[in-house]
Amino acid sequence: MNAPMLHVDNLVKTYTKGAFRKQETFRLEADFRIDGPEIVGLMGPNGSGKTTLFELMTGSNSPTGGKVVCAGRNIHNVRYDERDRLAIHYHQSYQVRHFARRKPAFMMDRAGSDYPLIHLFDEPQFNTQDGYIGFMLDFFRKLRAENRLVFLCVHPNERFHLDILKEICERFIFVQKGTLHHAVDFESLVALQPVQAYLGNLLTEQSVLEGEGT
Amino acid sequence: MALFEARHLHKRFGQQVVLEEINLSFEEGRLSGIMGPNGAGKTTCFNVLTGRYKPDRGQVLFDGEDITGSPPEKIVRRGISRSFQIMNLFDEYTVLDNIVIALPGIRKKLTNPMHAIDADSEMQDRAMDILDRVGLPGRARTNSKSLSYGERRALEIGVALATEPRLLFVDEPTAGLGADGTSRLADLIQSLKEHTTIVMIEHDMQFLFDVADKISVIHWGQVIAEGTPDELRANPWVRRSNLGELN
Repeated sequence: MNAPMLHVDNLVKTYTKGAFRKQETFRLEADFRIDGPEIVGLMGPNGSGKTTLFELMTGSNSPTGGKVVCAGRNIHNVRYDERDRLAIHYHQSYQVRHFARRKPAFMMDRAGSDYPLIHLFDEPQFNTQDGYIGFMLDFFRKLRAENRLVFLCVHPNERFHLDILKEICERFIFVQKGTLHHAVDFESLVALQPVQAYLGNLLTEQSVLEGEGT
Repeated sequence: MALFEARHLHKRFGQQVVLEEINLSFEEGRLSGIMGPNGAGKTTCFNVLTGRYKPDRGQVLFDGEDITGSPPEKIVRRGISRSFQIMNLFDEYTVLDNIVIALPGIRKKLTNPMHAIDADSEMQDRAMDILDRVGLPGRARTNSKSLSYGERRALEIGVALATEPRLLFVDEPTAGLGADGTSRLADLIQSLKEHTTIVMIEHDMQFLFDVADKISVIHWGQVIAEGTPDELRANPWVRRSNLGELN
């Protein structure tokens, strides 16, 4: 029996304000599973919950309800210093992550892996001038070929960002106001009404790839 | 067999993974380049390779011997030298003296009170040879603080060469140089290549594509691509960029 690579199981995260009469200010809900290696595109406006979702999947943020299970292990019950052996979050720039340590290590599970199984890339800087995009995309493909699960989070503000997603991703998740919309390919992603509203003119702009014969 | 090899290097600072599963190998007689965007982990990688930081996991091999975690001074004695992104020179001394101080065997002579370094023609000749190689023979008697930026870079490489390394690490040599300085530096590096195995970190991709035999691209603390400049240039996104043939 093989556990799915990632099972986000009835995950809920809420943020509230007010000490006595708590009022919910943000609510993220996610429930999906990914059985094997894939490259998943994650998109959504600022403040929609993309980074919160990544933090929950890597165990650096605690859920209000539900759980995240990576290859059969509940990430929030894996030793703090071994969680990134299961799922690693590559931030835009170096940031030190703080885990709220609640349990001593001996009460927790080992990661059982030396190199992360799930790689979450949070808004990598894509610049068409310097050529690094090509190396990054090859690297995502290499991880995928080595049976890893790759998440690529992009906040598209130029047409080539969409080209990149289309070229590399096998499925998509669109996050808006804490709600996830799933799409099995690029065409069904851009057919989603909230995605069309979000991308607007980017969808009709000419691709940089056109007219090159590639 | 590679002259220098890094296997499965891993390094964390606190909770932050800075190097993740780095594998590199540098062949004797070649110029190997390391490039990557800002904050990719290039300098940390260099610091682990040259013994400034100890990796949490993994191995560094020089000439088949494990040198992981050896202190920098022991690594230098084995024949590995490095120049820094931030230049380390003795400003109050002449250009020639900066080289002489770095020559092997100088320490023994310095501790002998009867020995005058100024009058040691063997040492002076060796230092002059090095200044010739880095293109500074006319500046031997100049105070190093009055050198231009590009000349300081060349002198710093000279200081590294004075230790007679089998392997020279160079960190961002073009940093702060204009177009003219960069092209002179490219000539210098090309001529050094004939005698010394070089590993160079460089931010300027064009420069590295011109001088390197092999390039490793580092990002997210990992080697994300590797190949000859021609192989890397074949990537469709590189062809579309400033480096590509489409421009």
